Amino acid sequence: MELRLGLVFSTTGSYAALGQSALAGALGAIETIGERNGDLITPVIADPGGDLAAYERMTRELLESGVRHIVGAITSWSRKEMIPLLERYGGLLWYPCPYEGFESNDHVVYLGASPNHHVIPAMDWIAAQGFRRAFLVGSNYVWGWETLRLARECLTARGVEVVGERHVPLGVISPSRIFEEMGDQNADCVIDSLIGPSNTSFLQGLAARNMAGAQPVQVVSFNQTEADLDEIGPAANGLLSAGSFFEPNASDMLRDVARRHAPNQRVSSFFATSFAAVEIISAAVRRAGTDDPSTVFRAAAETPVVTAMGAMPIDPVLRHTMLTPRLSIARNGSFEVVQYAEAPIAADPYMTSQTAGFPGSNPVPRRELRVVK
Amino acid sequence: MIRAPVHNFSGQTAIVVHRSPEIGLRIKERCHRLGIRARVRSEDLDAQEVRNADMVILDIDTADDGILPWERATAPMPLIGLIGSESPGRLAWALAQEVDAFLPLTGLGNLFSAMVIAHEVFARKAERRAREAELARRGNLRLEVIRAVLALMEHGRDEALALKQLRTMAMVEQISLEDAAVRLLTERRIAGGRAI
Repeated sequence: MELRLGLVFSTTGSYAALGQSALAGALGAIETIGERNGDLITPVIADPGGDLAAYERMTRELLESGVRHIVGAITSWSRKEMIPLLERYGGLLWYPCPYEGFESNDHVVYLGASPNHHVIPAMDWIAAQGFRRAFLVGSNYVWGWETLRLARECLTARGVEVVGERHVPLGVISPSRIFEEMGDQNADCVIDSLIGPSNTSFLQGLAARNMAGAQPVQVVSFNQTEADLDEIGPAANGLLSAGSFFEPNASDMLRDVARRHAPNQRVSSFFATSFAAVEIISAAVRRAGTDDPSTVFRAAAETPVVTAMGAMPIDPVLRHTMLTPRLSIARNGSFEVVQYAEAPIAADPYMTSQTAGFPGSNPVPRRELRVVK
Repeated sequence: MIRAPVHNFSGQTAIVVHRSPEIGLRIKERCHRLGIRARVRSEDLDAQEVRNADMVILDIDTADDGILPWERATAPMPLIGLIGSESPGRLAWALAQEVDAFLPLTGLGNLFSAMVIAHEVFARKAERRAREAELARRGNLRLEVIRAVLALMEHGRDEALALKQLRTMAMVEQISLEDAAVRLLTERRIAGGRAI
């Protein structure tokens, strides 16, 4: 059956690189699936340009035109803007990005990493490396607020002192006084939840400070991917990123699709997850024999679809996918995976496994990541 | 000091009071994902089991005082009210029962928010009750304050100076004025009635 699939990504505006990568993944999947199975998926593309009001307007237009499935939204702000409309029109959003957790909406499928996939392994790594004084920086919206709140909680529990915290408005260049504060506080690591130009300017400023002889600090991010790694340049060297998928994990097929579809010709987690989202939707619609969102969701949750990222079982209650947490270090424009979980781990969006529960009840057991030797 | 609301309920037990097995199952599954052990019951509640629970999630359309093992508005744990019909009478009952948080049946996906709110409202209610009980206890000690002031006036101090001295004692001991009065009178009795 023919499926009209909404693709709502900001391919212009302050986080355009992430939207471009995600859109390329979705379009690449539509083409690949068409060649593979003959499934006809018609993309209906909308670019809100990072403007919240445009997300609402464009999502409404898509849903009113009969689109029932959308892959899209990068920021949590935009996702939360879309949800009331999805509820009203009965649409389903397949959200392909890492996010801060604490959400489980009946009109969303969460395909990106949850905090137990990114924040927890990264905080374990910081403590294991012996860092003792962490500075927190983030974009001034729910992603920055919540990832840093959790990071603070985890660091404190692991005996790492949080010596400062600063938030930068979305799209704004990071002010240099942050570096002075980091220096004054003798920070030895920085948890960086900045996105877009704030992140690029922060990392480049930090590199310039290191060149000038300042004590280097370890940067840890939960959202740095190959989508905007080239923009940052050598300033990203040494950055540790926590995520569910990196370029070295991609198959030749996925790399080939990225070369043809992505503006930067690279695979990122945004690219791969959007690709996988389309694979899941296509398989589930075929199984369900309808594009009715709740029927399609049940079909997707009943039997995991094997995607370009591997099998992605979806929890039918919390509506999140199991993913494989990975830690990577940026070196010369590429990521090198340094630790990974041996098997996919269920998402724990409400961080239930973070305190001792009753025996045998924790839905998500903690697992040590395996070190790449 | 600002207290962070409880947002991890792992290991807790919830009693779900609802006649619909479908609703019960959906709440139970969601509780399980939050690490909460949920027991779904219809109206035949076991008083001991309910009292041992960490929270009660109840259908306000059908619940009444008779099924709950406590006096109205004195639940010993947070209550979450499930809103179905929105009838004013049932909402009035739930408010009189001092349900801590409400959740529409159409919004079961937001059960977590209702739990955070219910636990915080319940904690604040308990703090307010403790504060009120403390104020009432101190109110009952007014006579002791008067007696202590009179005792301190025995050596020619005026009442203002005597009260000031009693306040200083309370401040030094870091206790309330009323407790300082009780302590002074007790110590005087022990000391054989001599002024100290």
